[in-house]
Amino acid sequence: MSRLSAGDLTRIKQEQKARQALKKDGYTTKVTVHMGTCGVAAGANAVMTALAEEIATSGRKDIFVTTSGCAGLCAREPLATIEVLDQPPVRYCDLNDQKMRDIFHGHIMAGIPVDKLALVRGSETTDLPSPEGQPPVTDSPSAAGTDEKPLIPTMQEIPFFRHQVLRVLRNKGVIDPESIDDYIARDGYQAAAKALTQMKPEDIVKVVKDSGLRGRGGAGFPTGMKWEFASKVPSDVKYMLCNGDEGDPGAFMDRSVMEADPHSVIEGMIIGAKAIGAHHGYIYVRAEYPLAVKRLQLAIDLATERGLLGKDILGTGFDFELSIYLGAGAFVCGEETALMRSLEGKRGMPRPRPPFPAHKGLWDKPSVLNNVETLAQIAPIILHGAPWYRTLGTEKSSGTKVFALTGAISNVGLVEIPMGIPLRRVIYDIGGGIKKKGRKFKAVQLGGPSGGCIPEAYLDTLVTYEDIVATGAIIGSGGMVVMDDTNCMVSTARFFLDFTTDESCGKCPPCRVGTKILLDILTGITEGKGTESDMETLEDLSRDIIATSLCGLGQTAPNPVLTTLRYFRHEYEDHIKHKWCKAGVCRNLTKFWIDEKLCKACGACLRACPAKAIVGEKKVPHKIIQELCVQCRTCYDTCKFNSIRILPAKFEGDPYELLGAEAAGVDATKGDA
Amino acid sequence: MAEGPRILIVDDELVVIKSAERVLKAEGYSVEGAVGGREAILKLEKGGYDLVFTDLKMPEVDGLTLIKWLKKTNPAVGIVIITGYPSQDTIKDALELGIIDYVPKPFTPSVLLDVTERAVEWIKGRKSKEEQTVEEFPPAMAVELDRVIAKYRDTPGSLIPVLQRAQEIVGYLPPVVQKRVAKGLNLSEAEVHGVVSFYSFFTMKPRGDHNIRICLGTACYVKGIEGVLEKVKENLKIGIGETTENRNFSLEGVRCLGACGLAPVMMVDQETYGALTPAKAIDVINSYYAAAAGREPALAGASPEEEE
Repeated sequence: MSRLSAGDLTRIKQEQKARQALKKDGYTTKVTVHMGTCGVAAGANAVMTALAEEIATSGRKDIFVTTSGCAGLCAREPLATIEVLDQPPVRYCDLNDQKMRDIFHGHIMAGIPVDKLALVRGSETTDLPSPEGQPPVTDSPSAAGTDEKPLIPTMQEIPFFRHQVLRVLRNKGVIDPESIDDYIARDGYQAAAKALTQMKPEDIVKVVKDSGLRGRGGAGFPTGMKWEFASKVPSDVKYMLCNGDEGDPGAFMDRSVMEADPHSVIEGMIIGAKAIGAHHGYIYVRAEYPLAVKRLQLAIDLATERGLLGKDILGTGFDFELSIYLGAGAFVCGEETALMRSLEGKRGMPRPRPPFPAHKGLWDKPSVLNNVETLAQIAPIILHGAPWYRTLGTEKSSGTKVFALTGAISNVGLVEIPMGIPLRRVIYDIGGGIKKKGRKFKAVQLGGPSGGCIPEAYLDTLVTYEDIVATGAIIGSGGMVVMDDTNCMVSTARFFLDFTTDESCGKCPPCRVGTKILLDILTGITEGKGTESDMETLEDLSRDIIATSLCGLGQTAPNPVLTTLRYFRHEYEDHIKHKWCKAGVCRNLTKFWIDEKLCKACGACLRACPAKAIVGEKKVPHKIIQELCVQCRTCYDTCKFNSIRILPAKFEGDPYELLGAEAAGVDATKGDA
Repeated sequence: MAEGPRILIVDDELVVIKSAERVLKAEGYSVEGAVGGREAILKLEKGGYDLVFTDLKMPEVDGLTLIKWLKKTNPAVGIVIITGYPSQDTIKDALELGIIDYVPKPFTPSVLLDVTERAVEWIKGRKSKEEQTVEEFPPAMAVELDRVIAKYRDTPGSLIPVLQRAQEIVGYLPPVVQKRVAKGLNLSEAEVHGVVSFYSFFTMKPRGDHNIRICLGTACYVKGIEGVLEKVKENLKIGIGETTENRNFSLEGVRCLGACGLAPVMMVDQETYGALTPAKAIDVINSYYAAAAGREPALAGASPEEEE
């Protein structure tokens, strides 16, 4: 393949569009199977095989089959999208090979979409202006009135899709991540061409600064300023770096972007390199993301082959060499100075700043490190301008943010929202609320081990950097884990401290020793050894760790403790004073008991109990033999009638009195513990 | 070494041999003597000795010659020197030839016994280590490893990529591999070990044929990965960071595999398995056993431990 010049991009874009456009004498049908890591794990390969077999059997040559990365709605994988000439695309969910065969015969061969397997029709909302001057696409082509199948809802009718606006995920589920032409057909590399041919470094810096884009990796530092600092430092050698070491548990935005749209990251890096004057770059990726690594490498190879990376990019004389560096598993390497140490082949330990990496970074040369999602935002900003970017979001938190929505929520998936909408809309409208019937929302955890747990009362908080910080959590890299009332908040805090204790690099004692002491105290509380002074110790120590740690890991590690203490203090008190874990998670503080008035004697718990600790017969309410019970919670999760109740471990009194008083808000456990 | 190690005492003075024999035999060691290096070589050629105690200064065939000969012909035999001249130089020469220890002459029974005990422990340990090294580090691997080192030698900061490749080749990073990498990249062994021990991706223990990585991330935690982990541990009878005795599986706990949409999740080698229950996890593991045995994957819940 020959090297391209800036003009070739438009030609390739038109050719690729023409090649893939559905028309009577060409392809009449397009099938996209969404194959990100989650899709593949859910069985997308079998779906693809079934589809290929059916097409081969049918002998049809007018069906265009392609793949894409993650389509966003992980809870309903495998997903596939079918587009037939002159009809809106229809997305099918929860597929398997048989369903794919049914859909093939119904939708493709007979031309009738299979309502009962379909999820939605139309295209997802993006607000990218089309360069041809057409208004942005906001709804599906079906708005035109060819609506004969009202059984399949449109994107606008489903809250999960309606409240999202795709910028970073603009190519999600649409392009084949292994095809550079697909990316170019969606205006890919146009922004890089513009930056290299028409803009001076200071112009690029100004646009990014004006856009108000802030680092999406967690700290929220303005990206334009970072670039400005580095661009002003004179040096022959500078580095443009990408942080793909997504370490927060519960976050997978960067993986999805790298898997679904690797070129968008590369394009952002080319523009950044031009802005700061770097000619070398690295993408630091976790070794746990094999598919992302494979696709990024392929994307780099293709871009280099086409003259979009390497020497004399697009004939402009600008050089930029890019390579992938595999991380080796250390959470602290998400911190910029630590990541640079790791790139140098050393133990990834942070160092004090200043000097900032913009002056002395990798190999002591001026360096800029940006997160994957930040870089994927760059191309549209350059192409459409800062004022366009600011049409969404707030003054201080502009644009969109991608969140990985997981946990006890119905619509687990990857979502992109305009900044500044309330958390409640993300969780209830987009996320669909708590998945399990009869369970109540308890908290949403934002920002991973550096973040905090936000309770129901604060769900009207707006999703902006400032508002979330005011709650004690942080936006972080975008992990949003929803918890219901079967989660114990003390155990959750313990879980995060267990993580940070393990991942502390050990350089500075406040973090190394302090987190360990926090963990020990929390472990004590969950095991029933908590004392009244523990909560005060936790708070004091947390403040000391925050004040005296060297890097972001230690400075934020106590956040999960502080936020749970702030919003769920009563749970700590229940654990410490009453030896009662009301969620039934801490085994030493739990006694399961069957409420005979609610038990329907169905036998479900009896069969499920691994310890054979439940006795009962048909029509006879069941009973737990406490001596045999191992507090595994299986019965509690199995019972459909909520007849299994949780009492304090050593409780000997009348459960009805205790639970009745509990409901009435009276503290009946005094003296029992 | 079924009945304890066989020891040969070599000295040009019979009285030294006799006294050493007396001390060691009393403790149950099987001991023989050889007067001078020549007699020692004749005896050692027949084989069957595990440990040799030798004087250095002897007429005709001296101690250093004997040691050199022994290292060449029978390197598995452990060597301890007995010397009346424990000068730095002679001991250094002998140490470079790979002796275990030395006994100064004249010696007390307790000193001799101490040294003997340590030497016996040492050869026991080294034997198993040598067997392991031969098994885990065949020459083909060494060639491949050297090729990787040569490729990266001039690239700054290449230690982590080299170690990643080394772990792919050898399966894990025992000291022998770390030393080879250190030498090849012109780094100190301490620096290499520092990096190996810092990153969770690197392991100094051998892994099984299949590596199971259980995700301990938040989403998986919220969705009950702990139950899955317990069941897997119970089924394989190993803990996190361990390998089954038959080397089929090793178990690792990792920080978030980034597939939270499918929580709870585990990976076996490069395959991701989602929406796990304890029973489903066991099915997955069984399907690997079945594949190894050349059969179709086992039926759901066919684990013998599984009770309904």
